[in-house]
Amino acid sequence: MAIIEVKNLVKTYKISEKQNGILGYIKHLLHPKYREQTAVNNVSFNIEEGELVGYIGENGAGKSTTIKMLTGLLTPTSGSVVVNGLVPNEKRIQNNKQIGAVFGQKTQLWWDLPVIESFRLIKKMYDIPEGEYRKNLKKFTEILQLEELLDKQVKNLSLGQKMRCEIAATFLHNPKIVYLDEPTIGLDILVKDNIRKFIKDINKEKKTTVILTTHDLKDIEEVCDRIILIDKGSIIYDGEKEKFKDIYGNKIIAEFVVKNKTKSVTLETQEEDFEVIEETENSLKIRFNHDKLTVINIVDSISKYCEILDMHVQEQGLEEILKEIYRGEIIRD
Amino acid sequence: MTNVIKNISLYLSFVKTSMKEMLIYRLDCIVGMLSQIFTELVEILFIWIVFQNTETLAGWTFEHILLLYGITLLSVGISDFCFDALYDIGPKYIRRGEFDKILLRPVHPLISIIGDSKEFTSLGYFGLGLFLVITMFIKLAIPVTFGLLLQIVFFSIIGASIIGAINTIFSISSFWTYRSNEVIWSFYRTYTFTQYPIDIYNGFIKLLITAILPFAFVAYYPTMSYLGMNSYMLYLSPVVAIVLWFIAIKVWNFALNKYRSTGN
Repeated sequence: MAIIEVKNLVKTYKISEKQNGILGYIKHLLHPKYREQTAVNNVSFNIEEGELVGYIGENGAGKSTTIKMLTGLLTPTSGSVVVNGLVPNEKRIQNNKQIGAVFGQKTQLWWDLPVIESFRLIKKMYDIPEGEYRKNLKKFTEILQLEELLDKQVKNLSLGQKMRCEIAATFLHNPKIVYLDEPTIGLDILVKDNIRKFIKDINKEKKTTVILTTHDLKDIEEVCDRIILIDKGSIIYDGEKEKFKDIYGNKIIAEFVVKNKTKSVTLETQEEDFEVIEETENSLKIRFNHDKLTVINIVDSISKYCEILDMHVQEQGLEEILKEIYRGEIIRD
Repeated sequence: MTNVIKNISLYLSFVKTSMKEMLIYRLDCIVGMLSQIFTELVEILFIWIVFQNTETLAGWTFEHILLLYGITLLSVGISDFCFDALYDIGPKYIRRGEFDKILLRPVHPLISIIGDSKEFTSLGYFGLGLFLVITMFIKLAIPVTFGLLLQIVFFSIIGASIIGAINTIFSISSFWTYRSNEVIWSFYRTYTFTQYPIDIYNGFIKLLITAILPFAFVAYYPTMSYLGMNSYMLYLSPVVAIVLWFIAIKVWNFALNKYRSTGN
């Protein structure tokens, strides 16, 4: 049996339509008008125990709304959510015992107190047995390098230090399921690596199911096995990460500064395996598949038509891949 | 029952935490306390002026009124101390999105919120109340027996819990407006009516403070009993407190469910 079962989940918000001006405002007060907006539209998926799932989508695609329904913070308009045998919306407090959650930059720690005090309170709230608490604390301190942070006040911690403590706090009670909403946003690369490693370690050891929303492709690449992609409230991809990368990833974008262009590169290279996204008198932006071509190939091809002054190469990030998906430029098989 | 004990013990942990947090802001605490005492002294001055023109108010002397005032301050001090965070639900928790964090805890959100109260400046009210009560008992030559002392402690706590329940009921406005603190405050201030004998009021206000927002049970009826005027209403106080809390929790859970189904 799947640990999370989501069936035909729908969430519609009522949004008040305000008119402009004082008159419009008064009109709204007397006779409010609402329009319905569907944030999550008929979403279904099952997640098995121990899976590491990346739940991704644009801002406003319905990610947070889904997570909020999974955690019981929001009541679904229709459809059902069952998490480890419980309906989170009805048995919220019971469900809270078996889950952990990190929501972006909001901290669950007590701002003015040393970190360790927050941990003690969490121990008490979740009834964590003394032995288990000590074991976890020792282990987490080691992996997340919390040794020097435990006695510091939360408000004096840097963003990265705070997030490491936050992650530790979330896993302290051995939750069956953990929801991580943008856990690595704004962190430096070392901390990101540290947190990713931690998630993987705990998942391996305790079979903790993790649902991760992020805009950082590397989070997904290093942590997740499976991707669920949501757009405008509906799931448009649900499957293995490797397959997702085959379909959407591996693209490189190269930007060139050129001069003395003789011909339109776009027209001349139509037969080639790469794609010119942008072309002006002295710049070119080209996208190509790294499996098939290298930058050298591109330079070879275009130098026939112009002189290259400078270039800049970057991997196509998840956001760009997603943008293309949303624009309908990538067609799924 | 184990559930109740667990909740109480969690609440106490939260309070302990709040105290530790509060100790960090010692100076704020002292300044707040002094300013509270000062505002109350101004009100007492006002009562004194009234009594320059009259011997009694509805049969109550200046000392009687000050005793009532002191007893009220005891309950107000305790309730501000314990339930202050109710004012924060709208402007702080919901507006800043911290409410989600509280909903994710394996504890009823009211316990988390109430336990987060750190209005330690309310100790100023409590201190002044204590001073007034002791002085007036001496002035009025009322013998302070152990029984009376127990009564005062017990009914002050009951009084505080009545105020807390009323504030909890009106705190549901937080689910609709960020400015809920002002809604709670305006209903809460009704208690100032009960710092005077209720016989001076007309029927509507009497009904308001005994039946609708029963602040009269906080200090007025207990004080009447301590003064040996009339005691049977006193024993209704615990009943009023229990009924109010029952309503408060029901109403609060209902509003919370409503809030969770609309989203914000």
